[in-house]
Amino acid sequence: MGLRKFIDERIAPHFHEGGKLQRYYVFYEMFDTMLYSPASTTRAGPHVRDGIDLKRVMITVWFAALPALLVGMYNVGYQANLQITAFGYDPIPGWRTDLVALYTGFDHTSAVANVLHGAVYYVPIFVVTYLAGFLWEGLFAWKRGHEVNEGFFVTGILFTLILPPTIPLWQVFLGISFGVVVGKEVFGGTGKNFLNPALVGRAFLFFAYPAEMTGDTVWTAVDGFSGATPLAMAAAGELDYTAGLTGVAGTSAGVDLTWMHTAFGGIQGSIGETSAVVIALGAAILLITKIASWRIMLGMFLGMFVPAVLFNLVGSDTNPMFAMPWYWHLTLGGFAFGLVYMATDPVSAAMTNTGKWIFGVLIGVLVVLIRVINPAFPEGVMLAILFGNLCAPLIDHFVVQANIRRRMRRKEV
Amino acid sequence: MAAAKATEVLFQPIFNNNPIALQILGICSALAITTTLQTTITMCLAVIFVLTCSNFFVSLIRTHIPTNVRIIVQMTIITSLVILVDQVLQAYAYEISRQLSVFVGLIITNCIILGRAEAFAMNNSPGMAAADGFGNALGYSVVLLFVGASRELLGSGTLAGAEILHPVAEGGWYAPNGLMLLPPAAFFLIGAFIWLLRAWKPDQVEEPQFRIAPNSRSVEAF
Amino acid sequence: MAGNRDSIANTIRVSFLVCLVCAVVVSTASVGLREAQHENQMQYRQINILRAAGLYEPGMDLREAFERIERRFVEFGTGRYVDMPTDYDPMRAARDPARSRAVTPDPAGIRRQPHVGEVYLAWSEAGELERIILPVHGYGLWSTMYGFLALEPDANTVAGIGFFEHGETPGLGGEIDNPRWQAVWEGKRLLDDDGAVAIRVIKGAVPDGATNREHLIDGLSGATITTEGVNRLVRFWVGDQGYGPYLERLRDPYRGNDTT
Repeated sequence: MGLRKFIDERIAPHFHEGGKLQRYYVFYEMFDTMLYSPASTTRAGPHVRDGIDLKRVMITVWFAALPALLVGMYNVGYQANLQITAFGYDPIPGWRTDLVALYTGFDHTSAVANVLHGAVYYVPIFVVTYLAGFLWEGLFAWKRGHEVNEGFFVTGILFTLILPPTIPLWQVFLGISFGVVVGKEVFGGTGKNFLNPALVGRAFLFFAYPAEMTGDTVWTAVDGFSGATPLAMAAAGELDYTAGLTGVAGTSAGVDLTWMHTAFGGIQGSIGETSAVVIALGAAILLITKIASWRIMLGMFLGMFVPAVLFNLVGSDTNPMFAMPWYWHLTLGGFAFGLVYMATDPVSAAMTNTGKWIFGVLIGVLVVLIRVINPAFPEGVMLAILFGNLCAPLIDHFVVQANIRRRMRRKEV
Repeated sequence: MAAAKATEVLFQPIFNNNPIALQILGICSALAITTTLQTTITMCLAVIFVLTCSNFFVSLIRTHIPTNVRIIVQMTIITSLVILVDQVLQAYAYEISRQLSVFVGLIITNCIILGRAEAFAMNNSPGMAAADGFGNALGYSVVLLFVGASRELLGSGTLAGAEILHPVAEGGWYAPNGLMLLPPAAFFLIGAFIWLLRAWKPDQVEEPQFRIAPNSRSVEAF
Repeated sequence: MAGNRDSIANTIRVSFLVCLVCAVVVSTASVGLREAQHENQMQYRQINILRAAGLYEPGMDLREAFERIERRFVEFGTGRYVDMPTDYDPMRAARDPARSRAVTPDPAGIRRQPHVGEVYLAWSEAGELERIILPVHGYGLWSTMYGFLALEPDANTVAGIGFFEHGETPGLGGEIDNPRWQAVWEGKRLLDDDGAVAIRVIKGAVPDGATNREHLIDGLSGATITTEGVNRLVRFWVGDQGYGPYLERLRDPYRGNDTT
């Protein structure tokens, strides 16, 4: 307990009442409670019947996202190494490449090389995101005189996972700053935001730097590479759905693509979104711990399933997206990730149980509509969830009003 | 009102009673035409002209305007002024007039103008009314110029067409922010302007409709 | 005064006077400025024609530059020159069922096309044909894009392209205004050796080893639909339904200057 003692005796007094650094107490508290559980407990009469608190919720979500993080990081390295060794692309010159070349080289069959190559891209994004987040969270907490709460812990990791790996770090900083300040803090901070801050940040980048965020060149970290993501291929009619689950449905940049790839990972895409199976693992954690709502997840799935099947039946000669089966919708792009980690965000989702169903279905339907009908955006998960967030208070309002009316009627009878 | 000083009438609307920032009027045009500074300045001049003149003329004939058709009379005057501006722009500033397209015509629907005519010009002398119109148009212009300058600088890296930030596409370092060229950016910037203004003049902060329970404060943790 | 202010007589009198004064002001402005406005519209179009042809320099004397540009009218089906009144407007004609036809198939998304279109011919000081400038338009992602396609006198090599009106996404599709991209068009050829329309805007960059590079133009990154729109409109207007027959006549050396 050397560290605890050191903090208590040497550091803490400066921040406590009367100390020199009392104004900066929030920053001290932020790091202290990251290291240790707070000693302060509720002083009023006992009322707690569950050990769950904000911090535990957030840490559970964080751990649920960890598999997606690790696999995503590996995949970033794998994609880059694959293009370098198998197709003769050059790595992007810079310190990242020097580091990888020094320790492992660019062998896509070597797990260590893949992880390292992924880490040199992912870790800086991670660090910048958290530095920016703590800066803004700390600043607002300090000005408002409350403690930094843990909301950003989750926002941060989710934000890093929905970025393309080659994104410039200053854009990471701008994006997360916009997400935290405009998406959350101006409305009062954690718990009072009606939009998902990670998605607000991503949407900002999406509209501000569309060429960097949506082009063909952003998804794999090698020099001069241009290869469409599976969704872009689908929009261009280059996917063959009759290939079944394991057959080759299309080829992008020399790599054959099957449905199994989209389910297990090993395709290009945003860092944490590529492997549906790993995301399902996260979903299991969130559902078992009852942190995420199964109603939202199932609602969103059904909302996607029904219109996807309808579009299959209707068919279209000019729009290849009509033919995409529901299981491709599920595994491609950000659908699985959005379903599990984004739509279920308890703050910005609907609160009532009926409302959760409506909320989920609304998002699912919108995703398919944007993907299939809208010519401008091949992917619609982000916009669909943000729209769902906007509607959530309205949905809840009507659900509550309906409840009230039903009870009034029951009373009259 | 009768005792109000001309300077007060002229300068109050700029920061203390800004039509956009405090009354949240007339923001439609602020979204549409503020992508470049040049169109913004033209729009500001047009609104200054229309608002000053409409207030002056409405006030001039205020004692003759029958109350039951007063809004129609005001609208006729405003509309004529706007058409005048539109015609002049088309004749002498064609390029800008094309960029402003329908938004010159839409000055007619700018709530600030009808609002000032109805609220001030109908009850005050022509001189005061003109001062009030000019002041309100200045208040409108201040916000528009802030929004327009920010959007052009961040969105294209230029100010009034002159390059300030060297964009990447031309071999420079600045990556233009495409969001700034889309209408929602004006909302964010007007929001930011209001935020800054109310941080400077806290008396403009509205009374909250209800209080949210405070977050746990640091003192409780001791 | 206040007493009879709301009387019916006063209401009518004030309304009439206000309307009269306003009407006089507005119509005076409209009539007085018409000349200048018309001049502006002409100049604006001239600037865009010159720009597409690569002949425009800021501050140049438009009147003088445009003296060497000849406006001719072309019947689309036959490709022959026809005489039309100078105030003929193809865009207006396209809305008149008697003077236009519904386009089928309609790859450029223009719905109706006039029977007679216009071309601009730029002559050098020595009296030789320098550029053929074709007005083109077609649908992109959000909007109809209006522009000019300029060709070399061989009626096969692109000299330039420019758009003067469109509503595409800034930063993505809006990059069709980017001079760098427009410069890519210069020197590209419309037709292959068999005389079929071969020019094409592709998705992404033209591969290094492509054999038909002289027909291919890089697509704009992140603007697939806009790029495809430009591709379709160019192929439409230089094809059989557009100026194809006319360009064919120009290419034929024996009938090149045939004006019948």
